[in-house]
Amino acid sequence: MTENELKTEERRLPRVKPATDIIEKEDGFYIFVDMPGVSKESLIIDLNEDELKVSGKAEYSLPEGQKLGHVEFGGGEYFRSFTVSHIVDKDRIKATLKDGVLELHLPRLEKVQPRKIEIQAG
Amino acid sequence: MVIDLSPFYGATTPIDRLFESLWPSMAISQRSVAYPPINIGEDDENLYVRCEIPGMDIADLDLTLTDSSLVIKGERKPVQGKYYRQERPTGVFQRIINIQAAIDRDAVGATMRDGLLEVVLPKSDESKPKKISIEAV
Repeated sequence: MTENELKTEERRLPRVKPATDIIEKEDGFYIFVDMPGVSKESLIIDLNEDELKVSGKAEYSLPEGQKLGHVEFGGGEYFRSFTVSHIVDKDRIKATLKDGVLELHLPRLEKVQPRKIEIQAG
Repeated sequence: MVIDLSPFYGATTPIDRLFESLWPSMAISQRSVAYPPINIGEDDENLYVRCEIPGMDIADLDLTLTDSSLVIKGERKPVQGKYYRQERPTGVFQRIINIQAAIDRDAVGATMRDGLLEVVLPKSDESKPKKISIEAV
C-alpha cells in the first residue's frame, strides 16, 4: 500500500446507522432521521424501485490552531435504507432537512386510502 | 442544580454500558449517558463548546452562563402519531460544563447549524497566554 492510500484510509469516517423514527399519521408515513452535521449538499436520497436509501456525511474539521480537550462525538458517514411499501405514492415522497433532522413524508396512494365498508342488513 | 461532571452518570460498569447500548431507553432522563454529547475545543483566543442536538431550534434551547459553568438545557419533543419504530430519544435534558478559565462574559456567542450547536466563549485578557520577553542584562 502506498503512502497516499494509507492517508485516505485514515481519514475514512466511521459508518453510523442514524437513529430513526417511523410514524404513521393520517396523511401518510413520516420517517425522521437524526443526521447532525449533515448539510443539504452532502445528503443523498436514492429511491430505487422499493428501496429508499439515505446517506450523508458529517465531517468536523478543526480550524488551525484549535485543540480538542474533551471529545464525545466525531463525524461519521450516516447510512440507512428502508423498504417502501406498495401503498406509498412514490412520486410524491417529500424530503426536508432541518436542523440536522431529515424528514421524509411518504403519502399513501389515493386508491388505498382506508375506507369504511358499510354492512347492509340482508 | 444537578451535578453533571462526566458523560456517565453514577457508577457504570462495562456490563451496564453493554446493556444500555443493546436496549437503550427512549427517554433521555433514563439513559446513563449524558445528553447531548459535547466536544470542547480551545485555541489562544476562545473556548469552544460544541454539541450535537439534532432537531432543536435555537429558540427552544436554554443556554445559561454562570460564574463557573455553562448550562445547556432543552427538551426534545416527540412527534404525535402512531410509532412503528422509535430510536430518537425524547425528553428533557441538561448538561453542565465547568469552565475554569476566565471568560469575557459579554462576548459569548452561540450558533446552530445542521443540528450542531457551537458556543464560543472568548477568554478574557488575563487568561490569555502571554509571552514574556527576556531582557539581556
